Amino acid sequence: MTTSALPALSDIPEGVVPGLLRIENSDREATTPVILEMLRSVYPHDQIFGDYCPVQGYIDCPPRDLYEYLADTRSLEEWTYSLRGFTETEEPGLWESYDRLGPNTKIYTRTVANPDAMTVDYHCAWDQGEHLWMVYLMRVVDAQVVFDKPGSVVLWTNCHHPFYDRNPYQDTAPEGRKVWVGDFWEMFSAGHQLELDNLKAIAEYRASNGLPITPDWMK
Amino acid sequence: MDFTDPRLTSPPPVSLVDVASYLPGEPVGTEYFTQFSRSERMAKNVMFRAPKARHHRGRDETVVDMAERAVAPLVDRHGTQLLPNIDILLTHTQLPDNPVLGAGGELARRLNMNPHYVFDVHNGGCAAFVHMMWLARTIMQTTDARTALIVATQNCAGPVFTQTEIRKLAQAPVPGDGCGVGLLVKDGSAPILDIECRTYPEFAGDMEFSTGSERKYWEPGEGQGCVSFTESKVAKVFARGNRLVPEVAHEVCKRIGVKSQDIDTLVTNQPNRLFLRNWHDALELPAERHPDTFDQCGNLFAAGIPVTLDTENQAGRLRNGSVVLMSAFAHAGDFAGAAAVRWGAAR
Repeated sequence: MTTSALPALSDIPEGVVPGLLRIENSDREATTPVILEMLRSVYPHDQIFGDYCPVQGYIDCPPRDLYEYLADTRSLEEWTYSLRGFTETEEPGLWESYDRLGPNTKIYTRTVANPDAMTVDYHCAWDQGEHLWMVYLMRVVDAQVVFDKPGSVVLWTNCHHPFYDRNPYQDTAPEGRKVWVGDFWEMFSAGHQLELDNLKAIAEYRASNGLPITPDWMK
Repeated sequence: MDFTDPRLTSPPPVSLVDVASYLPGEPVGTEYFTQFSRSERMAKNVMFRAPKARHHRGRDETVVDMAERAVAPLVDRHGTQLLPNIDILLTHTQLPDNPVLGAGGELARRLNMNPHYVFDVHNGGCAAFVHMMWLARTIMQTTDARTALIVATQNCAGPVFTQTEIRKLAQAPVPGDGCGVGLLVKDGSAPILDIECRTYPEFAGDMEFSTGSERKYWEPGEGQGCVSFTESKVAKVFARGNRLVPEVAHEVCKRIGVKSQDIDTLVTNQPNRLFLRNWHDALELPAERHPDTFDQCGNLFAAGIPVTLDTENQAGRLRNGSVVLMSAFAHAGDFAGAAAVRWGAAR
């Protein structure tokens, strides 16, 4: 007997997919203890930030204005901790700047933004602009929808690309540089939170003082 | 008068100088309950995963009987003049024998005590031992009272959780009965370093006492009384407990200037194994520095802390001079308390 309106999983024989917990094979009485077992007072850092680095926060600023600010690559000059000196390269949309975490370290950024979804993805790389493998996925959400109050919620996730552990473009690295961006991976959760706090401080200051969120110099 | 005399400004130290406990009857094995379980799966319920054994008080064994037995070792160790000289008697009873009357007065009579201050305190729940330490210390620091006996009795496992309908429930095998007592003296021999007690009104009222029927508990008729949470509240209470016990423990650690990792012994209430795991994880302590008596005694509610302290102390695992941190939360999270003591009752 099925209670589903759709032929869910009809392509797969019953019981062959390991670890599947659905109400049909594990009712609430059986599943609640499984979920309680998963709840902890504290979670190991690695369990939360191992392969993903999520940070998120509320910013008291209109979401569309915040999205438009973030969608301009030059905003990174303001709210990031260490990206400075943005200039557009000859290749349209590809920006070059310095990541002052490393001496003489260039970083290349291409921003892919979707105004309908209000997603802003920064595709970046140190030292070369051919293969942008550091990807910062951001999404601005209207806080009215999720928190029933004006403002913005910013979701920001970074995935642990294998190049963080191994720089495949060593020939493009400046001579004598001892650090690699991936060396800082364990600090990303705190570092990104610091930058998100910067974004909040800047955007809320402008919003509360009647200034445009995107400043005139970026227009 | 010397106004720089520290005795004029800082309250006098109060010490937890001894603990003792009593467990009623022979251990009751889990098979007593599994024979009544409604399903195989229920027996495996992780939230209420049963201890191997627990003690049940006899049907006619009163809270005063249990307390008298728990106090007996203190008299052996401190002499027959101990009890007549106690100034403060505080009792906490899980299931009062007389619902309109606490046990303090009758206990004082039975033990030939003549205390100036007798309080039966009910709101500390599973954190009652810490709550009573806080209350006793406050009285001692503001009056001329010098000694206090605090008594935490959990006595609902036998009478409530073995009822014919209740014993079938997944949570029935978890509680156990027992009584733990503490002796406090106004001196600096085993000082209470600090205590934090917090009431959380926003979480009050989430624990129910129902008879499983329309009947109020004082009315005659069908239905068996039991303490419970609604099913949807179990996860909320669990998340609160995960947070509250480390929260008050960390507060005490901060105030006494000790990192939680440097606590020698952590003793908490012991509702189930998951809480025990989560709490020492949260305080970054290895499991061996967080002893419990869950497997032998089940959830002892308010008696959990003193029974475990006594068990560890008798086994020689509490060293004089070490820092013992107690922390617990009550009911559905409406109260939590933590206390740190420089241990001085080693034997």
